[in-house]
Amino acid sequence: MNHQNDPLRQAMRSYAAGLASTHPAPPVSLVWFRAERRRHQLAVERAERPLRMMQMLSVVFAALAAAWMLWRAVQVDPPGMPGTGLLLMVGAGVVLIAGGCWTMLAVSRRPSS
Amino acid sequence: MAPLTEAEFERLYEANAGPVLGYLIASTDRHDVADDLLQETFCRVLAHRAAMSQAGMDAAAQRRYLFRIATNLLRDRWRGREDQPFSEPAEAGESRNFEASIDVHAMLRHLKPRERELLWLAYVEGMDHAEIAAATGLNRLSVRTLLFRARSRAKQFFSAGREAQ
Repeated sequence: MNHQNDPLRQAMRSYAAGLASTHPAPPVSLVWFRAERRRHQLAVERAERPLRMMQMLSVVFAALAAAWMLWRAVQVDPPGMPGTGLLLMVGAGVVLIAGGCWTMLAVSRRPSS
Repeated sequence: MAPLTEAEFERLYEANAGPVLGYLIASTDRHDVADDLLQETFCRVLAHRAAMSQAGMDAAAQRRYLFRIATNLLRDRWRGREDQPFSEPAEAGESRNFEASIDVHAMLRHLKPRERELLWLAYVEGMDHAEIAAATGLNRLSVRTLLFRARSRAKQFFSAGREAQ
């Protein structure tokens, strides 16, 4: 490819020179800023990954615990406490746990500013 | 080896941003997309700056590396069909602009995306087959064949234009 005087090569080079003069590259500071911001986001995501896994695990355990409590409430009828009242109390506890889990997940998914 | 500093990055950008941007504009025919891909290219360089400095790249290798990233970004874009102003060659009967003696823009439109990339790297950037292979991820033999085909199509386009004039 040493045809330096090839008209096609010359035409393409003058076209490239025209492009460079009419459309300069954006300032380096802009690219640096964008890259740094992305690097920061990636670092935050990396750091948050174990925390997110722990959150997921805690949600699973909370759901299991709630199911177990509900199951026990149906089985056991302690003296002095009517069965329906206990069931309602445990049901409310389960709803509270589920609500807490949902809130926690919703907050953790919200993008940080 | 220390990772790329801001001053080194600035030097790298000043030396290569123009050529890479020209390549991206010629490949996409869209200045906004080319600007975006240029920034993405350099962002990726910064994201892998440690690897880049550990590899001990010289200026020519850094340039090839940048063109490689830019080429991969172009391929990703076309694969995702996000935009394809130039993705298909112009129809045979389509009117061509022969006002200028050699209309490079129309010629680029006439070529396939890969032909356009190879021709630009060879003729504008002055890369040889090995360098183009490194910049595009193709093997040298393919580069040689595809470049020959691209050159023939480009010359055919111009000779057809001259005959029409």
